[in-house]
Amino acid sequence: MKSGRTVYANESRFLDERGTASELAPNGENPAKIMEKAVIGRIVDSQFYQYQCFALNEAGIVDRVVNDVHFIGGTYGAAQKPTPFLCLAFKLLQLAPADDVLEVYLGHGGERFKYLRALACFYIRMTRRPADVYRLLEPYLADRRKLRRKTRQGTSLTYMDEFVDDLLTKTRVCATSFRELPRRTDLVDLGELEERESPLGDIDELLEEEDERDQAEEEARQANGDDERSEGEIDGGRDGDGGEDRMDVDRRSRSRSRSPGRRERGETPDRSKS
Amino acid sequence: MSDPTKGGAYGTPAGDTDFRKTWDLEEYAARGKEREAKEREESKARYEAKLAGRKYHIPLTGNESLASARRTALDVSSQVGKTQLVPAGAGQGRRGRGAGFYCEACDLTYKDNKQFVEHMNSPQHLAATGQKMEVERASAGEVRARVEYWWEQRLELEREQAVSLQERLELRREENEREAAEKRRKRREVEERKRAEREAAEKVKTEYGEDVRIEGEHDEDDMMASLGFTGFGTSKNKT
Repeated sequence: MKSGRTVYANESRFLDERGTASELAPNGENPAKIMEKAVIGRIVDSQFYQYQCFALNEAGIVDRVVNDVHFIGGTYGAAQKPTPFLCLAFKLLQLAPADDVLEVYLGHGGERFKYLRALACFYIRMTRRPADVYRLLEPYLADRRKLRRKTRQGTSLTYMDEFVDDLLTKTRVCATSFRELPRRTDLVDLGELEERESPLGDIDELLEEEDERDQAEEEARQANGDDERSEGEIDGGRDGDGGEDRMDVDRRSRSRSRSPGRRERGETPDRSKS
Repeated sequence: MSDPTKGGAYGTPAGDTDFRKTWDLEEYAARGKEREAKEREESKARYEAKLAGRKYHIPLTGNESLASARRTALDVSSQVGKTQLVPAGAGQGRRGRGAGFYCEACDLTYKDNKQFVEHMNSPQHLAATGQKMEVERASAGEVRARVEYWWEQRLELEREQAVSLQERLELRREENEREAAEKRRKRREVEERKRAEREAAEKVKTEYGEDVRIEGEHDEDDMMASLGFTGFGTSKNKT
């Protein structure tokens, strides 16, 4: 966090390479080097950044997000124009807002304005330590609001939980490469993180319930006992499904023994249930 | 520079040059000296800075305010298709008001919006408008207040937009009535105008100026007009 009451209005000092005055981010990276040089060049040249993002402070970021950010993404279109989202993320790197400000972005502001939360999540993934990234971002795996995403190919629909999952699992999101996060289980082993509780409930109980349900179905089918040849195919199909399920279960339980956190995380963005 | 107390070139005081401005020579001499001294000082400071390998900056006055973010977007498209009259030779290069984007504070004109925006962000422009190149940081409380403000704005907008079916029907009915009244008014106006024209034409037919009257020719018409009708034949076209 940069100390002091004021911050420079444009990026010239931030990008100055002759011994930068800005401090390193909490995860030990130079904030001026987190984004790629070509992308920074595009951002600095863009009309939105030059006019609208000049002399912004932490409160001004809220203004811009509310009025100008209508989609997430890196660069879009054939001209690879940087999105306002990315421009503001770059501005955040310069501002290096304090933790309490980020908390407002994520919680109070994030409840009301989804793109504000998305921006804060993106910024946290860029600058915070891995344990903090997990701790701060995981609650939003339950946020199911829609987000618009623009890429070079066009516009697509995504969701907040998907976006957060991308941030936690992928190394390249929104034209920015991240350092790979250590596995969650490793952090748990090191004692930096608590074991994660999935909002779906305990995985063992869920699996047991599934097994019981399968058994009950099996018994019901055997009790009927009057399967005709015509239904045999369907039955076979169902058997196949069951087999696959069981294999899946096996795989899940095996992987769980290795890395429960990761598996659970992979499962959570499941909207089919809502 | 005529001084009425002094004589003219030929000894006689020139009485017809009173309208000319009388310059206070001493004051202007003092001002000139001051300006020259300032320029000399500045050029010296520049020279010294150059010798020391530094860049010269105009010293701050102490009255500068911190820079603030812009509230609006630069609206370039509103100027499309408009014509501006620019006096010939108004601008020398960028200096002065010419054709293009003009900056009042710095008296500079730029040919395109990109250069113009770059200028708006430059330290020179900020110095000319009395701003520093720094921005004040916002605390978490201020950020929260800003979020609240925008959230209130959005709720307000929704409240304005959300109108019940009854209200919408009522609005539509009022609108229809207003339109009908307007139509009626226009129709009446047209009728009125037509009637006035027709009456004027009738008048021309019956009233003749004295100069065009031929003795005894129009006696019959005048009599009929005084009786209230203008001629024989069908009364269909008459009002």
